[in-house]
Amino acid sequence: MIPLAGLLAGILAGLYFDVSVPLELQPYLPIAIVAALDAVFGGIRAVIEGIFNDKVFVVSFIANVLIAAFIVFLGDQLGVGSQLSTAVIVVLGIRIFTNVATIRRHIFHA
Amino acid sequence: MSLLNDLFAKPLDPGYEDAAARRRAAGERPTSERTWRSPALAVGLVALGLLLTMAVLQVRNTASVVSSERQGLIEQIHNEDARVSRLQGEVSALEGEIGELENDLLQNSAAGQQTREEVESLQATTGAIAVTGPGVVVTVDNAEEQSAEDGTDRVLDLDLRQVVNGLWAAGAEAVAINGQRITPLSAIRSAQDVIQINYRPMNAPYEVSAIGDPRSLARDFGDGSGGQWLRTIAASSGIRFDVSSDESLTLPAGNTPLAFATPWEGAP
Repeated sequence: MIPLAGLLAGILAGLYFDVSVPLELQPYLPIAIVAALDAVFGGIRAVIEGIFNDKVFVVSFIANVLIAAFIVFLGDQLGVGSQLSTAVIVVLGIRIFTNVATIRRHIFHA
Repeated sequence: MSLLNDLFAKPLDPGYEDAAARRRAAGERPTSERTWRSPALAVGLVALGLLLTMAVLQVRNTASVVSSERQGLIEQIHNEDARVSRLQGEVSALEGEIGELENDLLQNSAAGQQTREEVESLQATTGAIAVTGPGVVVTVDNAEEQSAEDGTDRVLDLDLRQVVNGLWAAGAEAVAINGQRITPLSAIRSAQDVIQINYRPMNAPYEVSAIGDPRSLARDFGDGSGGQWLRTIAASSGIRFDVSSDESLTLPAGNTPLAFATPWEGAP
């Protein structure tokens, strides 16, 4: 219950305060979102498999977001920002898809 | 390929397995009640909710900014169009006023009368005043089914130039396309696939009106280069055209003021 309440509180806080992303951070937002989604689906799969761990989830979530943003930042500085974003999206996308497929198998047994 | 294999085989963070193994070794269950009450998890999920909301709001705001910019540009175009029309109306009104004043001045003497007639005939020739008389109307339209990707089944500026040239050659005394008088300063050109006549964009069908002898004009046009050109493009690309005589046509004045050229005093 507490995690759900936290998620809801985050969404409400975002709506209420109407926070806008600073201009310098905007290129990193899409990558951060994909990295966060990867952590979320990994967490859901761990819950279903009964091995969920709060510390692993939070650390992987924050680290994923920060590392993804950092890789894109590094790529931007080296002039290969868009290529590196594509690489990050592909890797994280594959992980998200595989995790969701496993979740689907656990739920529907198919 | 081992990187990709790894990616497919172990998509789950290995940290979960390790943590679970450690707990099992310590004799605990991997996921306990305590896991769900962990403040770190709650904070992480607050951050997740915040991140997702921010992203959604960001996209919404950007979209509305882009569409409002577009709206602003469209409005600006309409405003400027209206301003151009208003200014052109003003120019026509002032030109009419000038003509009236000239008439008033010249009417008073016989020499003035003669000058006035001369001026009017010159103005009619150059397209500075509206003219009326019998003539023909050549209507040219795009092909009914437009499928060619290179746009050859649409009327091109070249086609209209051929028609106008054909009409002049057939003895036309004044020509206008869709109400734009063709004067010595007129340009028939296309910009971005839109035909512009006197720098005004035009749409199909194009009505080319010409004043001249209604019988010989239509016949000579049909036999001449203009008619041949139209028949050729009609056969090759399906462009439709029609030539009809008209007892009374009125062609508007062309708007062609001279800014730099002045009459040479030494003219014979």
